[in-house]
Order: sequence, then structure tokens, then C-alpha cells
Amino acid sequence: MSTSSALDTSAPADSSAAPAIEATDLVKQYGDFTAVNNISFSVTRGESFGLLGPNGAGKSTTMRMIAAVSSRTSGTMYVSGIDPQAEGPRVRARLGVIPQQDNLDEDLTVRENLIMYGRYFGLPRKYLLAKADELLEFAQLTHKAKARVEDLSGGMKRRLTIARALINEPEILLLDEPTTGLDPQARHVLWDRLFRLKETGTTLVLTTHHMEEAEQLCDRLIVVDHGEIMAEGSPAGLIREHSTREVLELRFGMDRNPEIAAALETELGNREGLGYSHIEVLPDRLLVYADDAEAALEAIHADGRRPMTSLIRRSSLEDVFLRLTGRTLVD
Amino acid sequence: MSTSSPTADKDAISAKVGARGALYQAERILRSMRAYGGVILFSSTFQPIMYILAMGLGLGALIGATDDFVEYGAESYLMYIAPAILASTVAMSAGIEFTFPVMAGFRWRREYYAAQATAITPGQIALGHIMAASVRFLVHSVIFLAVLFIFGVLSSPLAWLQLFTAVLGALAIGLPIMAYISTLREEKGHAALIQRFVIMPLFLFSGTFYPLSNLPVFMHPIGWLSPIWHTNELGRVLAFGQPTSGLMIGVHLTYLVGIVVVSYVFIRRTYIRRLGYEEWGGRTPGAKRAARKQQALETKEAAQAAWQGDAPQPTVRSGLFSNMYSGNIRAVFQRGIMAIRNSTGLIFVSGFLEPVLFLASFGLGISPMLEGGVEAADGTISYAAFIAPALLAVAAMNGAVFDSTWNVFFKLRMTKLYRTMMATSLGPLDVAVGEILLALFRGALYALGFLVILTGAGLVSPAAALLMWITALFIALGFACVGMAATSFMKRFQQMDWMMMVLIPMFLFSATLFPISVYPAGVQAVIQALPLWHGVELMRDIAFWEFSSLTLVHIGYYLVMILVGGTIATYRMKALFLR
Ligand SMILES: Nc1ncnc2c1ncn2[C@@H]1O[C@H](COP(=O)(O)OP(=O)(O)O)[C@@H](O)[C@H]1O
Ligand SMILES: [Mg+2]
Repeated sequence: MSTSSALDTSAPADSSAAPAIEATDLVKQYGDFTAVNNISFSVTRGESFGLLGPNGAGKSTTMRMIAAVSSRTSGTMYVSGIDPQAEGPRVRARLGVIPQQDNLDEDLTVRENLIMYGRYFGLPRKYLLAKADELLEFAQLTHKAKARVEDLSGGMKRRLTIARALINEPEILLLDEPTTGLDPQARHVLWDRLFRLKETGTTLVLTTHHMEEAEQLCDRLIVVDHGEIMAEGSPAGLIREHSTREVLELRFGMDRNPEIAAALETELGNREGLGYSHIEVLPDRLLVYADDAEAALEAIHADGRRPMTSLIRRSSLEDVFLRLTGRTLVD
Repeated sequence: MSTSSPTADKDAISAKVGARGALYQAERILRSMRAYGGVILFSSTFQPIMYILAMGLGLGALIGATDDFVEYGAESYLMYIAPAILASTVAMSAGIEFTFPVMAGFRWRREYYAAQATAITPGQIALGHIMAASVRFLVHSVIFLAVLFIFGVLSSPLAWLQLFTAVLGALAIGLPIMAYISTLREEKGHAALIQRFVIMPLFLFSGTFYPLSNLPVFMHPIGWLSPIWHTNELGRVLAFGQPTSGLMIGVHLTYLVGIVVVSYVFIRRTYIRRLGYEEWGGRTPGAKRAARKQQALETKEAAQAAWQGDAPQPTVRSGLFSNMYSGNIRAVFQRGIMAIRNSTGLIFVSGFLEPVLFLASFGLGISPMLEGGVEAADGTISYAAFIAPALLAVAAMNGAVFDSTWNVFFKLRMTKLYRTMMATSLGPLDVAVGEILLALFRGALYALGFLVILTGAGLVSPAAALLMWITALFIALGFACVGMAATSFMKRFQQMDWMMMVLIPMFLFSATLFPISVYPAGVQAVIQALPLWHGVELMRDIAFWEFSSLTLVHIGYYLVMILVGGTIATYRMKALFLR
């Protein structure tokens, strides 16, 4: 039994120089259904890379192919220069995986969960005893070390799952919707921990349908929908490219939105100096995209229209997504 | 305001649920049982036929003389045991209906809490569960009675009343179990403990396969305590008019009804505590002991020297099979040991109890009905000596099949343990081999316990016992490989139930409890094609120290199982663990 790649001469590439992930023309089909449709991307080392998309976009499927637990239908993929489909254990030895749903070992205590997980990597028990304590500290779970997993709150379970994924000091951390279902405090604690990891040079790959999270954590991201890449870039770059600086949210009460939208479209389109782009109609409100939303609102008032509520905010990735797909991110 | 919507009048809703809530709850459970409808129908049809053919005709042929049962009012052995088999099999299904579904309601699927959020009361939730289970027992009994009727073993016109005694008996054994299980916060093998320490003894010493009076006097009280015995006796009165005093009939009925009523009071109270305003979480038996163990372990760890040097590297292999196998089987095995250590130790140690109980029940109960013993190659041997080696083979099969099918599937689908393992550098082969080794380890301990008892009782020689111990592992490996291969094709829990259903007929038709010669040649050929018969005969060859060329055939049969099962399992390994 050899313990590292150094002895392995048949490996496709030297794993420390290769990009963290390199995926080309990736396709995954379940029967007739295409979950991932011909996507290509590459992640450099130390980068924090995001997959943003609504439920069912194919994010988790992509993550499972990276994590060497799911086969691909076609295309190529290299993780640290190694093909995950051909050498699963070697790839997984380099990864830390945080699945969408926590799957902690309920038969073991919190600390035993960490130690046993390390044993699955073949790490010596003696080393793991200290490492587990260090990770418990990192995840703020030291006081729960002896507790049973089921006695933990949702946020604690998530932190334990993350701590567990760090036991092998992974080169690449795969996080599938790391904060979905957490309350704001727990989410901020998690973001803080992920920042620290990023600073130590760990490559982060995360999926989310939470735009704030993507903006906070990702250097670069791809927007996916129906298994295809809709756009790629940095969060700020994407907003610049696909949206206006500001957004005006208006509510006119039920059923009136489409007709008012049509009217506003012509009225605002004729005005100069607003930086007006377009209007999106949502079931409950209208989104007016304009660089100067304040001026747009004044113009609307000047035309004698009285929205029930109005709100001015900066553009977000949500708006980018809406522009690209005509749908909101949550569904 | 007048409207036709049924949701308009909230007080009417609450009044209606107040009157019929238990029925709604029962309906919910029965509908969810429908997913298992095929399994339930099949088992309640097939089981009686199997038992009648195997026990009634097979064991009946061994016992021979029919006039023994005339004093009880029965014309044959089959007629004598038929009502008791009805009562026992219904009671055994009570052991399932009142354990796992209750845990699912409180914990695994938290279905009770969905009901709690509606207008249904906790008491109605409990009653609804009992009602649904009773319907299932009733269906089972109707089918069973129909089969018995077709076989012409019901001579009394009152026989159909057994429908009610069977359901009553099932509730009398099931409700105390439900009362206990419903107080538990979590199930840590308690259901298995109940199965081994309560249901099995009560079943085996309840005068099902022979009159209770066949047992030594000191064992009679077990029968008196057992609701199954009381149900059996009532069933015999109804089926063929077994002579029984009115007083005894009264005692049987009072005992059964009494248990049902008292248990129901406890169950109701527990459900109200847990699902009512008190929000009681349930007990965790053994929590203190577990904490102490944990403490001791930590003290030991603290005494060890700290890790020196660089961070170590994960274990990976290169070369052949490196995508399947990372050379770290040990970790999978250790995880199993760690989980066992955290569970109730009693479960683990008590695994060998089942064959011991079978041996005691059949050895003591059947022997008085046999003249002499069983014909073996050189003269006759005692009935206990005849069945003991076979029971070891059966135990090896049961353990290995359970571990390689049900347990694997549970970790795959319910606890998702394998998904966790497959996120690490472990390969699927590490997991499979680790799990099989764990099953063999457990099997080795159980077999050891049983063999110590057999040797102590003088039923086998120490040399034979040693060889039998190794053979038990050999048999277990054969079944584990095939079981693992079969599990790789399973998708749903219902399919798993079908697989477990194969085990009962295999046990009944394995020549364990009677020689294969009681059957006509055609049936013999079928039995000889099945794997368990080869295991049973292999064990007997060793126990009686009589080897022949057939011994090699038996060994060959298992080698083929190991090779074919192991190859398929390896080939399907990714389909199994990387789902
Ligand atoms: N094992 C599977 N079998 C069939 N379809 C699947 C399977 N896993 C995922 N899918 C389908 O593939 C699509 C993408 O799923 P997923 O990758 O989980 O989406 P996301 O993580 O972006 O929400 C969904 O429509 C889902 O139903
Ligand atoms: Mg997902």
C-alpha cells in the first residue's frame, strides 16, 4: 500500500501543478433526462468558485461528478489533474466534501464522527485525536464533543459536517448549498469559517441559490440553468454586464402589474438621463431597471402614478439571473 | 355566509375529528401499509401453506402415530398444531407492527407529529395505530383460516371464531411491546432485544408444536405467562373442540383481555405525554452507562503520547483495482466495532440465544413424541443431537443474510453511511469487504457461544465443535456473498422484504427439524437444490463425524456460492455503493 501519488508514474499529470478542476463538455444524463448539458469550466488553485442556479439546475449533479461518486455520460474532467472516474480514491483523498444534506454518523458521538471519518482516509488514530480537537475548536463545537449527533442543532450539524470535511486537510473543498436552511447568525459564522479557509489557500467550490452568499464568497462564478451555463464572471462583473446599477421595486396591487408595466415601459423609455434599461414583471411586483432609480421614481410620480410601496436598491445577482432566464432564483 | 366548502366551519371540523380522529389515523397507516400490500398478502397466504407442508406433514410424518392427539380431540398432528400456528404467526407479526412503525411515528419519519398538528388528539393517534394493526391481523387471519379450511383441518363449526382470538392474542403480545417501545427516545436495538428475549421464548415455549405438558414442569410457567399459549388453547377449542373446562376458557380470555386493557392504558398515557402539552421526549435507557464508557475511553486516549511530525497523507493505492480498492478495509471494520460499542452490548452478546432457544424448545418438546430418536447412519441418535448442528447452520445463514442484505440496504438508504464513506478515499471494495468481515466477526462470536453450549451439553465433541465453528463461518461467507450480490439489484424496501421472505421456507424445507426422507422424492430434489440443506448436512457430517463424497459436494456448493456471489458483488460494487 503506497501512501501518496509520488510513487505513481502512470498518473496523467503532476497533481500539484494542474488546475484544481478542469471540466470540458461535461454531460450527465439520467435515462432520457439531461441533468447537465455540455458545460465546461475550470477552477484555478486557491480560487473560490461558485455555481449559482435554481433548484434542479444540475449543481449537485456536477458536484457529485467532481467528487468522484457519480459517472459522467460524456466529456472530460480532471481534478488536480486526475480523472475522478478512473481513480476515485485518489481524487477523493484530495477533496473535502460537504454534501447538500448532512449525513453524519448517528451511531457515533460528535468527536467520534471526526475521528472515524479520518480513519476512512487511512490517517493514523494518534494524529486524529489531536486533529479532531483542533477541528472541534474551529467549528465551535468543543463543548459538544461528547454529544450525540442528533442532539445538535441544524447549524451545529452543518459546522460538524464542514469540520469533518477538513479532517484530511483537503486541497479542494466542495460545498453543496452550505448554508441553505440556516438562520442568519449561523450563516455568518459559516461564512467566516470559509473565509479563513480561503485565506489558507484552500480551493473552494460551492453551489448556492443564495445570491448574497455567492457575492460574499465567490471570486468567480457560473450561472447555471437547465444544466447549461448562462453566464460566467465575477459577481461584480456579471452585474455590470447584465444589469443596471440600481433597481426600483414597485407594488401596484394584484392583477394590475402587466398593464402598468406596458405603460411605464413607453413612458420611461422616452425619458433621457435615467439610464433606463427594462422592466421585469413578477407576480407581486414590478422591477424597473435604471442606473438612476431615484430619478425614475420621480418620473413615475410626475406622471400621476401612485404605487402602494416603492423600494430602491442596488442590483444583485438575482437580477442578473432574472435577466438571463426570466425567472427568480428560488424556483 | 353560506358556502359548500368542507373547510368553512372550523368547529364542525373539530367536532368531526373529535368523534372519528382515530379512524382517520388508522386510515393513514393502512394506506401507507398498502405499499407493502403485496408482501403482506403473499406472506399471509404463503406462510400458512409452508408451515402446514413443513411442520404439519414433515414433522407429523416423523412423529407418526396419530392416536396421541385423539385425547386432545384432534385427528392428526397437523390438525393439532394448525390453530396454534395461526395464533403464533399472527402474534409474530404483532412484534413488527408495534415496534418499527411506532419508532417511525415518533422519530424516524415523525409521522405522529404531522398528525399532532391537526385536530387529532394523542389518544386517537395511539388508538388509530392499534386499529390499523388489528385490521392487518384480521386480514392475515382470514387468509390463514381459508387455507386451513382448504386443507380440511378445521373440524368444528366454531372454527371461524379464531379470527377474533387470533387478533386478541396478537394484541395481547403486541400492546405491551408498544407500551414499552413508545416510551423510548430512540431505538438502539431494543426491538431486536424484545424479539430475542420476549417474543422468541414466549413463542417457542407456548405449546405451539407440542402440548405444553411435554416440557419439563419448571418450564410450564413460561407457557402460562405467554399470551400465545392462551391463544393457542382457545384456538384448539374452537378449531376441533379440544376438551377444556369453562373455567379455563374464562382464564384464557380474562388473561388476554386483561393484558390488552392494561397495556392500552399505559400506551394512551405515554402518547398523551409525548404528543400532548408535556412534550416528553422519551427515555434513553443506558445513557449514563454510555457516558461512563465514553469517559473511560477518553482517559485512555489522554494517556497516549501526542502525534509527532508532519501531517500524514491519506491512504491510496495505485495499480490494479485502484479505483475500487484503497487498502483501508480496517477503517470500515473499526467503524462497525465503534458503533457496536456505542449500542447496547446485550444485543451483541445475545445473538446466539435464538438457536439455543430453538434447541431447548424442540429438543425437549418434540423428543417425548418420538419413539427412541432419529434414524442416523449408525443407529439412532437423540432428537436434540439431530437438530443441534442444523440449527448452527441456520443461525449462520440468518446472521449472514441479514447483515449482507437488510443491514447494507439500511445503511445505504436510511442512514446514508455508505455515502459518507464514499466521500473519502475509501473504495467500494473496502466497504464491501469490511462489512462482510464485520458480519463474519459477529457470526463467529454467536457460533462460538452456541458451540460452547452444545459441547457442554455433550451433543458434540470438542474436535467436531472446532471444525463446526470454522464451517459456520464458511457457510456465512457463502450467504454473505450471495446476499451482497442480490442487494446490489434492490431498489426499494419492499424488494428487501421479498428477499427476507425466502428465508422462512428455506428454513422450513431444509431438513433441519426432521430428516429429508419424510418427503417424497420430488420434494427431496427441490430441498437438495437449496443452499441451506447443504449447510445443514455439512454440519451434521462433521457433528456425527461421518464423511462421504457428499461432504465434498456440500463444500463445493458453498465454494460456488462464494465465487459466483463474490464475483457478481464485485462487478456490481459501484452500482451498489455509488448510487
Ligand atoms: N439520481 C437521479 N436520477 C434521476 N434524476 C436525477 C437524479 N439526480 C438528480 N436528478 C435530476 O437532475 C436534475 C438536477 O438535479 P440537481 O443536480 O440535484 O439540481 P440542483 O442541485 O441544481 O438543485 C433535477 O431535475 C433532478 O431531478
Ligand atoms: Mg442541489
